[in-house]
Amino acid sequence: MITELAVDGVPVLLAPTTGPMHAGLAFRVGLADEPLARRGITHLVEHLALHSIGVADYHYNGATTTEFTFFHMQGAEADIVAFLNGVCRALTDLPMDRLPVEKEILRTEENGRGGNPADMLALWRHGARDYGTVAYPEWGLTGITPDDLRAWVTRYFNRGNAVLWIAGPGLPDGLELGLPDGERQPAPAASSALPVRPAYFSGPPNVVAWNAIVPRGAAAGVFTAVLERVLFRSLRQESGLSYTVRSGYEGRADGTAEITALADALPEKQGAVLGGFVDVLAAMRLGLIDEADMTAVVNQRAEELTRADETGGLLPGRVFGLLTGRPVQTLEQDLADLRAVTGKDVAEIAAVACADGLLMTPGRTRADWAGYAEAPAESTSAVEGVAYPMINHPEVRLIAGDAGVSRTGDDEIVTVRYAECAAVLAWPDGARRLIGHDGIQVQVEPTLFAGAGTVVREIDARLPAELRIPMPARDPDTIPAPPPAAPKPTWRDRARVLGGYASRYAWLAGLTLMTLVCGLGALFALILLITGDEDAPGLGPLAVMIALAVVMGRAAVAQVREMRE
Amino acid sequence: MLPAMPPPTDVVFDAVAVYPQKATLRAALHSRDWSTCRAVLDAAAPMDRTALIGHVSQERGIEPFLRSVLTVDPADGTAAALLGTHLIDVGWEIRTGKRAKYVSREQFAQFREWLCRAEQVLIDGAMLNPGDPAIWKARLTSARGLSLGLAEVRRRYDRMQAADPGHLPGQFQMLQSYCPKWDGTWEQLHQFAREATEATPPGSPHAVLIVDAHIEHALDEGGLAEMVGYLSQPHVRADIYQAAQRSIGHPDFTRGYGWVGALSTFAMCFTILDDRNAAATAFRELGVLATEDPWHYLSANPAEEIRKARAWAFGGTR
Repeated sequence: MITELAVDGVPVLLAPTTGPMHAGLAFRVGLADEPLARRGITHLVEHLALHSIGVADYHYNGATTTEFTFFHMQGAEADIVAFLNGVCRALTDLPMDRLPVEKEILRTEENGRGGNPADMLALWRHGARDYGTVAYPEWGLTGITPDDLRAWVTRYFNRGNAVLWIAGPGLPDGLELGLPDGERQPAPAASSALPVRPAYFSGPPNVVAWNAIVPRGAAAGVFTAVLERVLFRSLRQESGLSYTVRSGYEGRADGTAEITALADALPEKQGAVLGGFVDVLAAMRLGLIDEADMTAVVNQRAEELTRADETGGLLPGRVFGLLTGRPVQTLEQDLADLRAVTGKDVAEIAAVACADGLLMTPGRTRADWAGYAEAPAESTSAVEGVAYPMINHPEVRLIAGDAGVSRTGDDEIVTVRYAECAAVLAWPDGARRLIGHDGIQVQVEPTLFAGAGTVVREIDARLPAELRIPMPARDPDTIPAPPPAAPKPTWRDRARVLGGYASRYAWLAGLTLMTLVCGLGALFALILLITGDEDAPGLGPLAVMIALAVVMGRAAVAQVREMRE
Repeated sequence: MLPAMPPPTDVVFDAVAVYPQKATLRAALHSRDWSTCRAVLDAAAPMDRTALIGHVSQERGIEPFLRSVLTVDPADGTAAALLGTHLIDVGWEIRTGKRAKYVSREQFAQFREWLCRAEQVLIDGAMLNPGDPAIWKARLTSARGLSLGLAEVRRRYDRMQAADPGHLPGQFQMLQSYCPKWDGTWEQLHQFAREATEATPPGSPHAVLIVDAHIEHALDEGGLAEMVGYLSQPHVRADIYQAAQRSIGHPDFTRGYGWVGALSTFAMCFTILDDRNAAATAFRELGVLATEDPWHYLSANPAEEIRKARAWAFGGTR
């Protein structure tokens, strides 16, 4: 039985528990709210807020998820009261003196994180914004100032944007909270970087992963669990191709849910794991849902819900629901929803999920054969602008224009338009990395492109400061040097390689001079010939001089054209 | 001892001679009469059914008809198997049977496109009819052409085996995948052929897999002389004769699926190995019948090659 109360303007969901008392204060802010250039700011707030709680032997923690941030504790009533009041006090007055240390701790914490399949799916599905930013490092940490933190906390960590849960006998005495006023902040709309679905991209060699966005609800939850059972049976029990097979369901604020599934693979079995995975998804899409699987899943889920309810384990989910505008359900309603799910409901969700699916194939395998479109890994066009050929490899070009920056060559185009730029990484040595909303990146290395210094200045001038992510200085050894020239360059290429632009101007000047000398010589000889001068040369030398003048002149014009490009 | 009868001069490759129902099936396919097609195919034993599907899948212009059948009944596994096989055939015709280095980029691109279309028909067909070996056999061919890797081919093979153990038409496909020119090694190839043979009772045609594996190996040696050299090695000779004893020479050998192909293959091997009596026995069993495979490896005109070999086996000169 859940009771809805309020403390200091914060809604409270109270429910009895058969176990120890626990409580949690949740805010509607998470990684999806962070612009890429501020990536990590919510996590930093969470750490700073908990710092003041001290290091006593308590069961407390904080967590920053995609849509929510919460602080929770299990223990005696008085300790819980002290914890919640302490967190709120810290949020209203963050210990800014701790900023450098907490940033360092977070960097260390992050080093332990690898790119996991869920992150990669998020990046390829959503790009570099909202639900895709989870995939990126906490790049914002370096540049975040105390003012940035205060603005973030004012916007998100207030009583209008918080809900508290308490699993215990009643509202404890002494709970003050004391959060400032504010408004409920809706979760951002999810961006898409996938023009066509179902789609695929290639990931690491040892795993197949997949996700889909579907309408949230009991049927989607049942489908998720059925999918795991069928994958487990097919890939592990029947064929012994995978060891770990998992699926996951996560509701989203916008009324959808993200379903994820993965299976690990030995690299030499990757093709078979992919094939088996594709077959299972196809069977689901065709509505081949086994009644026995349905029954098993529903019974298991009903038992989990009932158990969790006894200890207040369903409260966090209900709090998140309330924060995103969903009414608070009772256990009885949850169970009724679950029992009402039919095979037809699950088949319908399966069809929606498969049509929306994003598949991460292992290694270099593809999934075009199974009807999945290749997710875009490059841009469809380059910007118009000035082209800067790569030193020694002029077929690779950096193009900078009013609209943005492109890099072309090697049968690939990558473009980031200024209007669709999520962030720019800026190194002290002048290198820049522009990251587009779609997640596509253009790296600008001044050492590789003659004249790229101009491009860097242009980027810095055109992109707003809030997109800039300052990066620490690079080890000089890691700054790229121009690749060695292609073997056996032609004599003209060699002249160009010697000094980039300078030698090209020298070459042009030489050509022009030779044209003039030969041309004037020919003219002079012609005059002598016409005037019948005794010293006049024969027709042969005259023809040679005219021919030379024409050849040199044409070469000079060609050079000018090339340099203009 | 020479036979009294003069050797036949005819060479008949047409499967109608073995499968008279092929004519009915073909006519029904042309007149878009699916119920007759189904009646013919449903009546055939699994391997014969797969063979019949393969004998009519190259008919042109059948895609729209088969798609309309599947629209009415997406679970019609026979239509899925036939359409999938047909789409693979179209793709392979574009690719040609040549070694990869002689196939153009454009040909490969189109080949892949057709195979992708086939695969999407076959995936649904296989999920709705997991026990249909003809679909899994087609998926072995598409997996090979799509370079899905040996592990995936093997997974599909295992599914086919579960549907119909010892499904020889699919085993010929699996054999190809084990060739080094595709995804396997010689060791894997010969081991597969041995194991597949041993898993079936004596008298079944499966031992021809052992011979096919040797022919693939021999072809890789180079020209005809090298091929003869390979097949004449004592251990290879022994393998071929043992395989013959287990299949075409066994009292339980019947005129069931694969009998013409097996006899035709052994006839060629015995001809190469200069065993006139054994070749004559095989040719006598065949009568006018033969299969182009594997004779087409010897000449662009396999019928002529067979005619010559048969004349020699029946007492003529080389």
